Amino acid sequence: MSRPFAPAIEVTGLRKTYSNVRGTFRRTKVQHIGLSGIDLAIKPGELFGLLGPNGAGKTTTVKILTTLLLPDSGKAHVLGLDVVSQTSAVRRRIGFVFGGERGLYWRLSGINNLRYFADLYRIPPSVSRPRIAQLIERLGLAGREHDKVEVYSRGMKQRLHLARGLLNDPEVLFLDEPTIGLDPVGARELRLLVRELADAGKTIFLTTHYMFEADAICDRIAVIKNGGIVAEGTPTSIKRSVENKGVIEVEVEAIGPERLAQLRRLPEVTSVSVTERELAQVITLRCGSPSELMPQLGAILEGIQLQKVSSREPTLEDAYIQLIAESP
Amino acid sequence: MRLRVVSPFAVLAWLFFPAIFTVVGLYVLSGPGTATPQLAYAILGGGLLGYWDIAYLDGGMSIQNERWSGTLEQIFAVPTPLWVIILGKVCGSLLWGLLSFLPTIAIAYLGFHALLPHVDAARFTISFAILSLSFLAVAVMLTPLFTLWRWALPMLNGFEMGFYILCGFMFPVTLLPTWAQGAGALLAPTWAIRAIYASTTNQGPHDFGIWWGATVGLTVIYVIGALFLYRLIERRARISGGLALA
Amino acid sequence: MVAIFARSTYLQYVALFQWATIRGYVGYKVLLPVTQILFFVQLGVFGSGRSKALYFALGNALQVTAQAGIYGVIATVANERQHGTLPMLLASPANRLVTFLSRAAVNVIDGIVTVVVGLSITVVVFGLDLRHANLLLLAFCVVLISMTTAGLGLLFGALGLITRDAITIANVVYYLLLVLCGINFPISRLPLLLQWVAWATPLSHGVELTRGLVLGTLAIPQAALHIAVLLVYVVAGAALTLPLLRRRLVK
Repeated sequence: MSRPFAPAIEVTGLRKTYSNVRGTFRRTKVQHIGLSGIDLAIKPGELFGLLGPNGAGKTTTVKILTTLLLPDSGKAHVLGLDVVSQTSAVRRRIGFVFGGERGLYWRLSGINNLRYFADLYRIPPSVSRPRIAQLIERLGLAGREHDKVEVYSRGMKQRLHLARGLLNDPEVLFLDEPTIGLDPVGARELRLLVRELADAGKTIFLTTHYMFEADAICDRIAVIKNGGIVAEGTPTSIKRSVENKGVIEVEVEAIGPERLAQLRRLPEVTSVSVTERELAQVITLRCGSPSELMPQLGAILEGIQLQKVSSREPTLEDAYIQLIAESP
Repeated sequence: MRLRVVSPFAVLAWLFFPAIFTVVGLYVLSGPGTATPQLAYAILGGGLLGYWDIAYLDGGMSIQNERWSGTLEQIFAVPTPLWVIILGKVCGSLLWGLLSFLPTIAIAYLGFHALLPHVDAARFTISFAILSLSFLAVAVMLTPLFTLWRWALPMLNGFEMGFYILCGFMFPVTLLPTWAQGAGALLAPTWAIRAIYASTTNQGPHDFGIWWGATVGLTVIYVIGALFLYRLIERRARISGGLALA
Repeated sequence: MVAIFARSTYLQYVALFQWATIRGYVGYKVLLPVTQILFFVQLGVFGSGRSKALYFALGNALQVTAQAGIYGVIATVANERQHGTLPMLLASPANRLVTFLSRAAVNVIDGIVTVVVGLSITVVVFGLDLRHANLLLLAFCVVLISMTTAGLGLLFGALGLITRDAITIANVVYYLLLVLCGINFPISRLPLLLQWVAWATPLSHGVELTRGLVLGTLAIPQAALHIAVLLVYVVAGAALTLPLLRRRLVK
């Protein structure tokens, strides 16, 4: 049976264990599980997000896929190339951005950082010169490219990181928590850039622990905890898997017991409560998806004067928290 | 090379330390009764130390500097092999290292009126070129140790002056005990340094063929060893994941 | 106070110094000073003959106490700054002088151990004869010089709070001592101006005192003068350090 697509990134049964040493004089070796056997398949052109708390295995996954780390067992392929045995070939076709304050030569200017890495990626000057100019312009570094990196703001450094990651025009781009530490405006600009890159056809593998970020830009996400994948799907499907997180509040003058019973009988509704206010009653319904329940609600409450209606859809954060809390 | 020039420590290494050793050497070796050929060790010794330090420590430290600035992972994961990157860094360091001879020769001449008594220019030049190759090979071979084994830094830092002794930077290795001479004989720079000092005097043995051959032979062994080490450390570093650790 | 002093001393070495491992200790505290002594003794033998080996051994062994004293505290401050823990340390309610004295105290002990190890190995390698040497006086001199150089280190450590270049300055001073303090050649061979500078340094007095007492060539009044000068440096170092420690950290 043929596959509908050849994955840009394919991971099967990936495991990684770390050892570290405790104690100063009496030293003991302690094992720590980085990955406990994960499977992933990411389509070409997809913007895939890997969510998880600190220490869950996000960075370990990225480092294995970017050839910086060897797995203990399992397989990982990027663009059909084995990350363990075809390292050089993988490195030529991917880019990665680890972000943060480190990873750039502070005493060099932005443009010299890019020139140096262009040489390391063996990009001929005839290609690298215009590309560097283009990246500087596109990433908002124009006018500051000759300044030393040590005077750059956090956001500028992040954008320079991204420029460096795009130097070799990679087919797959790995971003490890790219917006961490950025102000809201800078983070939003970076997210828009990332989305543009995905729309232009690049496969993007993003790790983050900002739920709204994954929700806003990712085509598909996976949630990782303690080295294992606990959920995978589109943001919508993952949100749908969450129970009791949607809320509808309806403020009415009065509601009779018959209509209340009808509301309680609705299959998507898990609970109905009524609280008295001065000249009104507030009906609170808990359900899976308020938007799907609204038409039925409207039918049951027809004829009653509605003073106020408000609802909250379950967020990805609700789903994430539930997944992280519930899974072992 | 741009990264090196802006560091105050770089200025210290290039100019100050070699100058100190030259001054001490000139005072110690120019006392009453010391023969003129000995002065060559004082005139050139400081510069050679500075040149060696830049290659040996700076080449190795460049990996540590990459680790401290967080760029080690970035350069590790590029298509260009790590040994090529290090080779470039060490070559750059060696060029800066040549500057060590400026203050040392200036101090010797202006402060002590000390001149090399006799220089066989051709043999001196060849010996110096071969010495430079040996420094390059040693540095390229040592730097993978820093990538993989972080304890290598204190050990090699600590043994810096041990190399000065074993290689005969400021006194003939023939003065050392036999066991130390044996250890020094395994170091490529030892033979080239012998040739350099021999080219500044008419006295003593002049076995340039043997000395050049030994230097080149050992250099080739170091290079072969280095290539093997780079493969090994690439694999080990990818297993341990220690590239990002400062 | 004693508990803070002791715990502070232990923790700062574990956190900041690689010699907390055996390999780190061997590298920085054994190999480095021992090879330095051996190098200069061999250089001295090359220039002046084997009979002068003890002269060079004593001078260089004392000079390496400066390594522990000067570098110990200054490296502490530099490392604290590099790791970002210096602001926390200084903003804590702990007494700064006690904090830094705790570091200096271990450096004194460290300096003594370094000299003993270095000199012992040199004696064995060069076959030096110490039968006629006054080892008790040698020990006394080593302790006094360690305290002096630790005081100097404390001063540099405090300097490290107000300037980033303190470790560079410390490096320069450490190597200048090789030239100025009669370590490898008599101070009288220096130009006159440098001789005045040399006699202003505590290590010059320490080296003269040690060589003279160990080899029995120094009269008591001269010895007393050297000892007095060294004690003045110990006190002055602490007195000068306090105002610097009170100054605010320069970023």
